[in-house]
Amino acid sequence: MTTPLLDITGDVCPMTFVKVKMGLQRIGPAGKLNVRLKGEALKNVISSLKTEGHRIAGVEKEGELFLLEVEKKHE
Amino acid sequence: MNEADYKELKKGGMMRQAEAGFFSVRLHVVGGRLDTKRLRAIHDAAVRFGRGEVHLTTRQGVEIPNVRQDSLASLKEFLAPSGVGVGVCGPTVRTVTACQGCTVCPSGVIDSPELADAVDREFYGRPVPHKFKVGISGCINNCMKAEENDAGIKGWIEPRWVGSPCTFCGVCQAVCPTKAITTSSDGDALIVDAERCIGCGDCIACCPSGGMGEKSRGYRLFAGGKFGRMPFLGKKILGVLGTKEEALAAISAVLEFFRAHGKPRERFGDTLQRTGFPALETYVKETTGLP
Repeated sequence: MTTPLLDITGDVCPMTFVKVKMGLQRIGPAGKLNVRLKGEALKNVISSLKTEGHRIAGVEKEGELFLLEVEKKHE
Repeated sequence: MNEADYKELKKGGMMRQAEAGFFSVRLHVVGGRLDTKRLRAIHDAAVRFGRGEVHLTTRQGVEIPNVRQDSLASLKEFLAPSGVGVGVCGPTVRTVTACQGCTVCPSGVIDSPELADAVDREFYGRPVPHKFKVGISGCINNCMKAEENDAGIKGWIEPRWVGSPCTFCGVCQAVCPTKAITTSSDGDALIVDAERCIGCGDCIACCPSGGMGEKSRGYRLFAGGKFGRMPFLGKKILGVLGTKEEALAAISAVLEFFRAHGKPRERFGDTLQRTGFPALETYVKETTGLP
């Protein structure tokens, strides 16, 4: 199964945060979600994902954009 | 009553009003915190001795305006049992302002009210060449405007690049608000420019791998700021101070320097314009042994 991709490069806070939260709800524990984001969302989304116990398993830089591989917490 | 008497009253927090015979009475409040017992006493005093209103000052204080001159002593006596003291004015260390700090605010790095209480205990009302204000912000968001104070403190997180877990993903560099993080010339290390770093800790909070860690967290001191007619922003002195005691020792040394070099009615920022900031920093480092 391919990892779903969520593109939030066109969104601003708090929709960036809400979309990532909803994206993670659709997958099971320890499942993966790819998130493409940029700018202000980078700080807010990553720090809140970490605080909630999810893991950033990988990061790819695409110019000004970042592609995160998010691993949902195991529970 | 002559001018000298008015001056003495002012030093003791009783400010003469435009309307003859009336005073606005400044109360002793630290960091804008008042329990309900004190609030009730202030309410009762304002009803009994004033016109049933208080003024909330710009520095988190409370004043009871419209108190008759012949009621000043009784007002003081009335408030004393509830623990409400009368404030200060004139050339003294003034009301210490503080945010709610790390025990209340999720952004907080230091316990601002705790330090405010300590500064108040040690220095409040002490004589200095001109008014001296201390403000304490718990973090870099700086709600208490540290740089507008003669001595301002900010909660500060100092990052350190740890190395091995780092994948050079670029997130820390992208989130850094001052672009203080650069890659070394051979591309195998990250360098944090301590001068540009504003101590927000975003690089650490966002680091996916744990490659960016915390070197220290504590108190950062800014000196010489003021507002009023000729505003001036205070400048950062010393390194990150690790404990409340170190922050107190630094403020104490700053006050000693002001007493030694300040002219009467000269704000600290103006003193520093004459002496230069390096003279202050050297004095504080030498007398306290702080970094």
